[in-house]
Formats: sequence, structure tokens, C-alpha cells
Amino acid sequence: MNWSLFFDLTVSGLTLGSVYALIALGYSMVYGILKLLNFAHGDVYMIGAFIGWYALHALGGPVSPSVSAWIAVAAMFVAALIGCGLLGVVIERFAYRPLRNAPRIAPLISALGVSFFLQNSALLLFGAAFRNYQSYDLIGSRTFSFGNLYFGTPQILTVSGALVLMVVLTVIVARTTVGKAMRATSYDREAAAMMGIDVDRVISVTFFLGSALAGAAGVMFGLVFGQVYHYMGFIAGLKGFTAAVIGGIGSIPGAMLGGLIVGLGESYSTGYLPQGSTFQNLYVFALLIAVILVRPSGLLGKAAIKKV
Amino acid sequence: MKKLIALALVASALVATALTVGTTRGQSAVRAGNGSATTLISCGKTRTIGLLAPITGPAASIGILQVKWADFYVRTYNASHKKTKFKLMKADTQLGGANGNAEALKSAQAISGSSKVLGVVGPAGSNEVKGTTAVLKGGGLAWVSGSATNTTLTTDGTRTGYFFRTVPPDSAQSKNVSHYIISTLKLKRVYIIDDQEAYSTGLADEVEQQLKAAGVTTTRDGVSQQQSDFSSLIAKIPRDTQLVYLPWQLPPKGQAFGQQMKTAGRASIKLMGSDGLFDPAFASVGSNVYDSFFPVQPADSAIKAYKKTHGGQGDYFGAPSYVAAQVVGGAIDRSCKNGKATRAEVRGQIRKTNLKKTLLGLPVRFTAGGDLRSGSFGIYQSKNGDFARVG
Repeated sequence: MNWSLFFDLTVSGLTLGSVYALIALGYSMVYGILKLLNFAHGDVYMIGAFIGWYALHALGGPVSPSVSAWIAVAAMFVAALIGCGLLGVVIERFAYRPLRNAPRIAPLISALGVSFFLQNSALLLFGAAFRNYQSYDLIGSRTFSFGNLYFGTPQILTVSGALVLMVVLTVIVARTTVGKAMRATSYDREAAAMMGIDVDRVISVTFFLGSALAGAAGVMFGLVFGQVYHYMGFIAGLKGFTAAVIGGIGSIPGAMLGGLIVGLGESYSTGYLPQGSTFQNLYVFALLIAVILVRPSGLLGKAAIKKV
Repeated sequence: MKKLIALALVASALVATALTVGTTRGQSAVRAGNGSATTLISCGKTRTIGLLAPITGPAASIGILQVKWADFYVRTYNASHKKTKFKLMKADTQLGGANGNAEALKSAQAISGSSKVLGVVGPAGSNEVKGTTAVLKGGGLAWVSGSATNTTLTTDGTRTGYFFRTVPPDSAQSKNVSHYIISTLKLKRVYIIDDQEAYSTGLADEVEQQLKAAGVTTTRDGVSQQQSDFSSLIAKIPRDTQLVYLPWQLPPKGQAFGQQMKTAGRASIKLMGSDGLFDPAFASVGSNVYDSFFPVQPADSAIKAYKKTHGGQGDYFGAPSYVAAQVVGGAIDRSCKNGKATRAEVRGQIRKTNLKKTLLGLPVRFTAGGDLRSGSFGIYQSKNGDFARVG
């Protein structure tokens, strides 16, 4: 057994899985409350990556920023969190709220439309050229090694940052009033409204939080993998959705678990399976099918009980 | 209810018929081209050269250089000729973009369909040349690429007499690359990663074969051109690998790969790219980065004049496109001597091209297949963020 390869693949899988987990959380939160698959979520992640890039360049760029590198990174995250959060609120208000009482196919189509709108808007505004974060120049090239295990600074930043954001989200949902309102609304929207909860506001907050996480994921992707471009959200969104389904759509711990499973699955398939790097998407989506066949509600999801 | 169903069936049949007829007509148009090979065109004072290049998209950083050099040819020609002028009809192929060759095909259709276009410069990518062959050939056009190097483009017989190029083929590039790795760098363990496109797999196959024949241990892998996360792929590269060869087309991908190699603790492994990665973005990765590139003569007067009007930058990746425009422009001039020309005539004149001196540092004459009669690739190493010739 080549332990060096195994550890490298594990680190790579955890890094990627953290990004997918943040995207999956947004899918799960929105589905939990609205029973809507927000297919525009992947493109919100793409917008977050661009916001981070522009924030970095507003501060002087990666080679010689006008502030310290870590303040620049923090500013990138804050800009992406707030920018994407607000974008999510706007999308909900104009593309989904008017269709809340329409047949369920209508908001789904609207979500696809928003996805294409965001992608092509990014193409129009930012152009088709790739942008590079040059994180190697920004936060240095230090690599930490523990025996056969190697971690780079961007990877440590991504995994720890994702962990912090997931913990914060869990605390918000479990311990705050707005979190309680979110849980009540996801359980029974009508009853929550009757109990005096402002359902519209709760849904807006949900979209803000989910989209903010996607924006942060976009910045993390740029820092680790270097490049951002206008169609990066499509496949990442699909994989985030896959992660949410594998973990159990509507379940926050499920989304986190699903993200890590997808990230590790992708990494191990590249390392160990035939033509893994070429067909990693094939293996990931095959994993999705396998999990759904065995456990349709996902690993941590609960089977829906319908009154007959 | 039954009436409704009947109406719906009739409507569907009508729509299906209309679509079939429209598609068939469209296909016929694609096959024949609106400007056909034998249609006599009045040349007029201003003649049109079609230009297919990745103006936007992942390869835009090198495509734009081809556009600049082609523009430079047209400006230079127009400044020195009073009675005749050239203009470019530019079309974007978005090489390496999400839509694959779809954009290249659309652009080729637009150019082929324009009755004013007598010859074409481009496209840039070997896969694009293959993808647009039916359209351009169907329109009777000759096209001259300043960068498509896949060997089979001129040996498979599909586009003989129509396709030409002002760069040597990969059979020359692979020999120069292998020779440098074996004889100069004297390396024994090489990892080759192609990007699954025609240009890349062809070149990777040739280099792999030549290295193995010389006793070099080679490992081969592939990655999708759409991928940005190379970390798992990099994890597979043994730490005692001496060089990773990347015959890729997209400089941003090469740059991302190099940066991720550093993050993974593999900064000491040399990287070598092919002509598609000949860009400051790839060079910026570090000093252990090499690349192969087609010949240019920096002392040539055209290159000096270009640098003077472009802030001292040579933009050498685009220089063969200048020669390609020169070839097409010269052929159009000769064909239009009596004021009228057909695309077939221009093709014939391109075949007879005999430029004794060009900025490539070698004469330009074509073989029957459409290749240059001579030419080899140089090897460059990254120094201070740009490439300098070392072999």
C-alpha cells in the first residue's frame, strides 16, 4: 500500500470536499424550507469567486497588496460572503417568491433560468478570460509535512475555514431565535406563519446564509486551485447538489457529510481507478446513483411520511 | 377531445416536416458553403481575409496575439499599397471553452458563408481544424494556421490542398522535445499528462514513444481540459519524477497546474510545456519550467517594427499568424490580377507560395500535404517570468 499516495489523496479530497460541503449546505437549507432545488446556487458560488478576485485586486493584487496578505484574504471572504448573501436575497425575492404558490415545476424552471442568467451575465461583465488568484504569491508557498502527509497553506485555510463556517451555521440554526424560526418554517410553513413567524423574512435569511456560504466556497476554490471563470459554477453546483442528496437533502449534517464523501470519492477515484482523472465525474455520479438506490433519502436524511 | 388530439398530431407532423426540411437545407448549406469554390468574385479595391482565432475564452491570452499579428500584417500592407487594401473578417472560436468546437464551427460557417472571403487565417487549435474542415472545405476555402501542429492534420489526406500551416508539425516538435530531455537534461523518469484533445494526445503519443525507445521511464496520464483541480492527479505523480510533460493548449491551466504542484510539495520537479503553453502565465510558475516553441527570427525587420508599435513586446506566439496572413494575402493578390478570382484560384496560389525570407527565419514553401518544407522547434526556459531560448 502506497501510504504517501493515500495521504495525499485524502488531503486533496478533504480540501475539495470542504468546498462541496459549503455549496451543499446552501442546497439543503433552501430545500429544507421551500422544497426547492435552487439550481442557480452553483453560479452564486461562481460570482463569489469573482467578487473575491476583484476584492483582491482592489487592494493592490496578489503580488503587492496594499494591506497585509491575511487582511486581504479576510477582506476577500467578507466581500464574497456579503455580496453573495445579498445576491441570494435578490434572487429569492424576484425569481422565486412570486412562484411560491405555483406548481413546483415553475420555480425549478425559474432556478435554471437564473443559473443561465448569472453565467451569461458573468461572461458579459467579466469576459471569458480566466482569472488567477495567484494565491502562491499572496499567502506564500509554505508546505507543512508530517511524515508522508503534506499540507499547503491554502488547503489548511480551506479546510479550517469551512469547518468554522459550518460550526457557525450549526450554532445559528440550533441556538438562535432566527434559527428556531428557520427550523419551524422548514417543519411546517403554514403553522409557523400562524405562530407569528415572518416566513418571508425567514426565507430571505435562509437564502442569505446559504448564498453567503457558496460565496465563501468560491473564494476558497480560487485560493486553492487558482482559477475562476464564468462557467465554473455549473459542474461545482451539480456536485454540491450530489453531495446534498448523498447526505440527505434538507439535512445540514447530511450536507457536510455528503460534501466530504463526494470530495474524497473524486480524489480516490482519480488516484486508484482506471483513467480516474479523465472520468472522475462519471465515478462521482455513479456513487450518487448507488447511494440513492440503497438509501433513497440519503445517508442522514429521513424518509418522508405522507398522510394517506 | 378526439378533435384536439387529431389537431395536435397534425400540428406535430407539420412542425416535424418543417424542421426536417430546414435541417436538410441547413446541412446542404454547410456542405456547399454559400460562397462556393468556383464562384467568381469581383476583387475590388478591398479584399477580405477571414480570421479564426480564440479572441475570448481560456486560450484568449494566446489567441489575441494571433489577432494582433494578423492586424499588423494588414496595417503594414495597407500602408504600403495604394491601389489595393486588405481587411480582416474576424470570428471568435473560444478555443478550450465550455462548448467545445461549437463556437469554432459557428464562426467557420459565418466566414464560409461570406461571399467576400477568399482565404482564411486560422484556426488556432488542431481540434478546431478537424472540427471545421467540413465547413471550410465545403466552402472551397483554403485556410492557413499559425499554430495547429497535430501531425495528422496534413498526413491523413482529409484536407490536402485546402489546409496549410506556417509552423512545423508535432513530429518535429516531439523530436526536439525528446532530444532535449534525453541529451541535454539527461532525465530518466518522465510523467506525461495530456488534456484529451487531438493536439495534446498526438504530441504526447509521439514524445512517449521516443522517450521509451531511449530507455526513459515514462508514465502516461490524462486530464479533461475543463478541469481546474489537479491536486488528486498531482498526488499520483511519484516524488522521484524528474519532469512532467504537459502538451496542453491553455496557458491558465498550465499555470494552475504548476502552482498546485508547488502547494503539493513537488516544486523541485521540472515542468515542460508545448507550444500551446508558450505564454508568460506558464513561465511565471518558476525557473524550472521549460517550453518548446516554433521558430521566429527576433532580428527580422517585421518583428522589430511590431515591437516598436507594441510597447517592445514581441508576442511571438502570434508571429506565425503574420506569415499565415502574408501567405493568404499574397495568394489573393496574385489571383486578383485580372480583377476577379475564385476561392479555388486562391487555393492554388497558396500551394505555390514561395516566400524566400520571412520572420520565421526560414523560407516558406509548402509540401504536398500543406506543411512547411523545413523548420524545427526551439526549447525555452523560464527566466524572470518569461521564456528565453536554451536549445
